[in-house]
Amino acid sequence: MKRKVLAATSLLAAGAMFLAGCTASPQKSVPALGNEGPGTGTVNFLGPEDPATFAPVIAAFHAKNPDITVKYSQVPFDQLNSTLQQRLGAKDETIDLYTVDQPRVSQLAAQGFLEDLSDLKDRTKAAVPEAQFSVNIYDGKMWALPIWNSTQLLFFNKKALDAAGVKYPSSDPTERKTWEELVTDAKAVQAAGTKYGLLLEQVEAYYQLQPLAESAGGGPGITGDKMLTVDITNAGWEKAMQWYSDTFSSGLSPRGVGGFQTSPLFTSGKVAYFVGGPWDVGGFSKSNIDWGIAPMPYFEGGSKVTPTGSWSWGINPASKNKAAAKKFLEFASLDPAGNLATTAATTIIPANGAATEQYLPKLEALGGNKTKGLAQLIAHENSESAKPRPVSVGYIQFEEIMGKAFADIRNGSPVNDRLKQAAQQITDAWKQL
Amino acid sequence: MRPARRRRRASPAVIAAAFLAPALVSLLVLRIAPAAVALWESFFRESLLRGGSVFVGFENYADLFGNADFNNALLVTLVFSAVINPLQIAVSFLLAVLYTRRAAGSKIWRSLVVLPIAVPPAVSAVVWSVVYRPDGLGNSFLALLGLPSQPFLSSPQQSLASIMVLLSWIGVGYWMLFLIAGINDVPGELYEAASLDGASAWRKLRSVTFPLVRRPLAFVLVADTVSNFLVFAPVQILTKGGPSGSTNLLMYDIYTRAYTLGDLGKAQAEVIILVLLTLVVVAVQFRLLRSSDSE
Repeated sequence: MKRKVLAATSLLAAGAMFLAGCTASPQKSVPALGNEGPGTGTVNFLGPEDPATFAPVIAAFHAKNPDITVKYSQVPFDQLNSTLQQRLGAKDETIDLYTVDQPRVSQLAAQGFLEDLSDLKDRTKAAVPEAQFSVNIYDGKMWALPIWNSTQLLFFNKKALDAAGVKYPSSDPTERKTWEELVTDAKAVQAAGTKYGLLLEQVEAYYQLQPLAESAGGGPGITGDKMLTVDITNAGWEKAMQWYSDTFSSGLSPRGVGGFQTSPLFTSGKVAYFVGGPWDVGGFSKSNIDWGIAPMPYFEGGSKVTPTGSWSWGINPASKNKAAAKKFLEFASLDPAGNLATTAATTIIPANGAATEQYLPKLEALGGNKTKGLAQLIAHENSESAKPRPVSVGYIQFEEIMGKAFADIRNGSPVNDRLKQAAQQITDAWKQL
Repeated sequence: MRPARRRRRASPAVIAAAFLAPALVSLLVLRIAPAAVALWESFFRESLLRGGSVFVGFENYADLFGNADFNNALLVTLVFSAVINPLQIAVSFLLAVLYTRRAAGSKIWRSLVVLPIAVPPAVSAVVWSVVYRPDGLGNSFLALLGLPSQPFLSSPQQSLASIMVLLSWIGVGYWMLFLIAGINDVPGELYEAASLDGASAWRKLRSVTFPLVRRPLAFVLVADTVSNFLVFAPVQILTKGGPSGSTNLLMYDIYTRAYTLGDLGKAQAEVIILVLLTLVVVAVQFRLLRSSDSE
């Protein structure tokens, strides 16, 4: 009997200890200890992409600067933030340069994990679209340089629209559809036999849903001098979210389909209208369906807003080779040839304005006839309708809690109550900042 | 001077300690130290903007119990444990009884039930996400039987049950293995004697099999309870705790608090609460088993 109790107690203790070991110790913000370095030698660069993606830009840089070698290491995207928190928190000098998810710039800067790059402000402002400049500014200083950009487009299935006799939407941004018109058309297409009328690619992501609230006049959801006041219970947010909720309750969009399952649904011909990114152009081109592109819609009487933003790169303050890292960073962001080289092995919009101009025609050619007008459309969205995600040290908490609220709203939670609940949760989470 | 010839004999206790040292050191470093760190950190609050951490005593605990999300997670975890543990054990026991019978192909069937153990939990979750999709296998199967399609993971009423089904698909085969070992240890003569006494199959199960597999059953009960308190991957992959917090188990809530909300102090406090909860539940289970032992 005693032995049994002993055995059970140790089992229990093991289980309990396992539980207790599940969280790591917190990171302390530390003063920078690195230095400029010789301006030559090795630059250690860390990011989530496949090494092949950055091989062209590294090769191009090395050709111009034979005395600097860039060594890239990949950390899977899911582990990137925790890895960065751990290694930067430990003043790890083996990272000189790293990729920064743009909405996280402010938190990383507040933690002391980014080198101040304010001396490049003027050059950056001149080289990239406004939204790509402002997203790197926190507390009046610039902390990272933008590398890639993004936008959203309305894709449509031509065969599905033909079956219902619905006219194709134009790719001309001046003929942008409203969400109200789109729902009417999508319902007609659905009635003619297509399974779903409308689907947003990242169904529960703030990135894609922010424009709905912005277009309905609700703002980004974060206000105040310090950008730490939540504002998601206003009329604009309620209108946008009620509309979003209705698209699911009416069966126009499918519930229970996760973010990574949406684009296959479009390429299998089951969706009439699909809101997705330029990265879909490559994938859709390989599919068997016939499709076209149009600008992302807006609410009638509201403003025309599209998502934007992607990755920036920043320098680790603990680096012992900052000068060389900065040289490479300037090449990859501010030099059009260098910035273009970052996109040579992937389908993404370069952040640099001059590089974008060279890149877009190539992207348009990728889709052949289907993507006619794509280059002009993306250029227009970048400069006219792009609205970056808010810059706030509380962005990470905000995005996480909003993601859950979007999921619940999609599944039928009452919109007003759920937004109030999310506002309360965000306020609670921000208290400990 | 000649060196002393006498060989010093280490005492058995020293030798035992030396053999135990690797295990004890890893226990200390990998288990006890993190637990102590968790307890210590649960009394602090980390501030990003004000910098540094401040001692707050039991404030993190008080905040948690005043937090609607945490209270909901606690309730969900208790309901989940109260349902899934008896369910998994009952099914594993019945399957174990079934597959220890000498019947055609029982070994093949047994292997099929055990197979899901070989699949990592994350992969199982992805497989089941296809089953639970609105146009997925689950609803196709229901349609075949003439039943209406179900929302599964997108309904607050069905999501927790759907997670339980997935976990039981993985878990039942695993726990069954321990019970099969226990049943195979029951001496055949006892069944023969029971047959001679005219006992029915049900009576044999109740009066012979069940009392004699109580030991493996006790292990399965405790281990299953602990493992179900630690469920994380399917929630993270399939529901993210939703819809409306209906699958927000404590383990997932801890993860969210620590790594997405960045509130480590409260997350550590929550870890301590979960450890205490597990201790209490398992202690109660032992108490019950012991009293039935001494009867």
